[in-house]
Amino acid sequence: MDTQVSVILGAFVASGLTLFIFSFLYKDNPFFKIAEHLYMGVGLAWHIQLTIYKVIIPKVWEPLKLAWQNGDTFTVWMTIIPTVLGITLVTQFIPKISWISRYGFTFLMGYAAGLALPAGLATDFSNQILGTIEPFANFFSLSLGRMINAVIILIGTVSVLFYFFFSVEHKGVVKKISNFGIYFLMIYFGASFGNTVMARFSLLYGRFDLLVRYSQKEYFYATNWIIVGLLIYFIAEKIITNKLLKARS
Amino acid sequence: MKEKLNKILKLDRRYLFVLLTLSIVIPIIKPIGIPSKSISTSVKDTYNFIENLPEGSTIILSLDYDPSTAPELHPMASAVLKHAFKKNIKVIILTFIAGSGGLIDELVRTIPPQYSKEYGKDYVVLPYMANPLAALTQMASDIHSFYDKDINNKPLKDYEMMKNIKNYKDVAGVIGITGTALLDYWVVYVGDKYGVPILGGVTAISQVGYGPYLQKKQLKGLIGGMKGAAEYEKLISQPWKGTSGIDALNIAHILVIVFIIFSNIVLLILKFL
Amino acid sequence: MNIIKKYIPLTIVFIFGIITLASYYVPHRASDEYLEWINKWENIVSAFALFLGMISLFYSHYKKIQRKVDGWGYSLFVYIGFFIIMGAAILSKGNISKEGKLTYLGWSFNNIFNPLSATMFSVLAFFIISTAYRSFKIKSFAAFLLFICGLILMLGNIPLGEIIWDKVFGWTKLTIGEIKDWIISVPSTAGRRGIMIGIAIGAAVTSLKIIFGIERGYMGKE
Repeated sequence: MDTQVSVILGAFVASGLTLFIFSFLYKDNPFFKIAEHLYMGVGLAWHIQLTIYKVIIPKVWEPLKLAWQNGDTFTVWMTIIPTVLGITLVTQFIPKISWISRYGFTFLMGYAAGLALPAGLATDFSNQILGTIEPFANFFSLSLGRMINAVIILIGTVSVLFYFFFSVEHKGVVKKISNFGIYFLMIYFGASFGNTVMARFSLLYGRFDLLVRYSQKEYFYATNWIIVGLLIYFIAEKIITNKLLKARS
Repeated sequence: MKEKLNKILKLDRRYLFVLLTLSIVIPIIKPIGIPSKSISTSVKDTYNFIENLPEGSTIILSLDYDPSTAPELHPMASAVLKHAFKKNIKVIILTFIAGSGGLIDELVRTIPPQYSKEYGKDYVVLPYMANPLAALTQMASDIHSFYDKDINNKPLKDYEMMKNIKNYKDVAGVIGITGTALLDYWVVYVGDKYGVPILGGVTAISQVGYGPYLQKKQLKGLIGGMKGAAEYEKLISQPWKGTSGIDALNIAHILVIVFIIFSNIVLLILKFL
Repeated sequence: MNIIKKYIPLTIVFIFGIITLASYYVPHRASDEYLEWINKWENIVSAFALFLGMISLFYSHYKKIQRKVDGWGYSLFVYIGFFIIMGAAILSKGNISKEGKLTYLGWSFNNIFNPLSATMFSVLAFFIISTAYRSFKIKSFAAFLLFICGLILMLGNIPLGEIIWDKVFGWTKLTIGEIKDWIISVPSTAGRRGIMIGIAIGAAVTSLKIIFGIERGYMGKE
């Protein structure tokens, strides 16, 4: 699928779908709705085909076939049991037997809870507390800058924790400390906002870069044709709508 | 006067969209060409990590992003891979994201030939796996028990560079480039548990959240967003999409700042009128 | 019947929860083997969860077409998009490229899935600019602090911002990059760390509640 025709066709399809979605920014229109619904189907199909070709065939079907041929009953059972548990999930749509799906869900929840608990405690709890108090182990051997940073991090972390501690009423000293914690949260949110702007604009740059590339001669001016088509649609739609309104009045 | 100012504040947002579009499209067609001056510490740390690795070391490059985050992450993945090949570091590429296949394919089609790198000898690509936790925990004992075949469905053990790689003890480090929380998984289940050096490349949105991991050295380095990609490209002297991208975003960022300041000044004036 | 519908599932969550929890802390070959098998099981079971989503989506759009509700024609495109990609996948046997050439699936990925997916996310950029103009109202010191940090990060992220900073505040001998690095690694880290510790405690409590059967919302109606 690397022929000149497929490349140009690809350019038209890619820039068309991109511009159909951007057309929503002007106003809601059939082209956007078509692209939106296509995306639902395409996105789902992409993940389904990946599941079939990268999980079900290599990890369920082929091991099962091999184990059956070799008489390896242990592997056969160890493949059939999770397959059956997976199939139970689908019974959720049949109200009379939807309770069967609990077997699949409880396996997933037990596994996830058992795995998340120690890992989360180690990395996001113990290590973070350690990171906050570690500089104080040899505090006076640090440079002045690092000392100040360590103190700021300690005060900030503790005051933010005070803000999120709702078991005690926020009044008096607790209120003052938690209000101070809000300032640290605002600094974090402000930093996140600044970076979010770059992140989203980067995505937009990616799309515009593609549209500019597909507006070149080698892609048969794909972007330009699609833009002209959309403009004709919107102008025609406006003319027809005005005529209809005039006719009604 | 009050009415005029209120009208300005309620400006049809489509005019703002047009301004944003022009602010990005014009620099794409005619680049501004302002070079990035500063290099952040975390990007320098990532660069230095690869720079200081002995020749012939092996790293795991986990490329876990799809088209929705590719403009930020693809340039940094490309820069890291180029740097690794330049230093003759062997690379094991893997992914846990369904939509990354095409992007990884593009990288391995274009970059290895530039450095005369051979598949199987200098780099291998492992197939997509849906369960990252399974992979991360099992690779601690034996990579081959989880990844018995490569992306071409050939036995992994047959490749020259994989003959001496059994588990994390045989790799110098892991670089996770992702737009999801997968870098957290590497830190939690590999870095903290087995002491393997973990470095990351993330979207700008996530970058700020990794401050605590960087401070505690759970992450040895971090490339954040398109700016990070541009900085890394500057360090390896190979400008690409990161550099051109950040150049195109100059006016757009200034536009956001100007809009915020302008609207608040108008609000302030309205308050006193 | 209660035993089959309620108590056996609760026993399953308890057994798998406790054994998986224990395997993290027990440095024995048995833990590694257990994790190897349980991870394979999870891989297989969660693959079927995707089919749940497929059935749900197809059913809801089928109902729209059947009842001929407003806009039912668009629901056809859900099926069209699905079958285009599935058809390409079957023809290409799940491969994006073969011998260096793009397959039908690879072409569909580059020209259909990629543009749709990336454009949907990039549309948010327009709403950021709209929000910045219409909704970013600095009415308190906290909001002002948020703006200042956002401003520093935005200026620090672009080369033009570095030049502007040097021209206005160059006399401070501090670059915008250094200030940006400091904000991310010190005060922002403090704020983020507090949130992380809070979330970790919440997640630990919820995990224990799930394992011991106190939290049963995922089981659906009793």
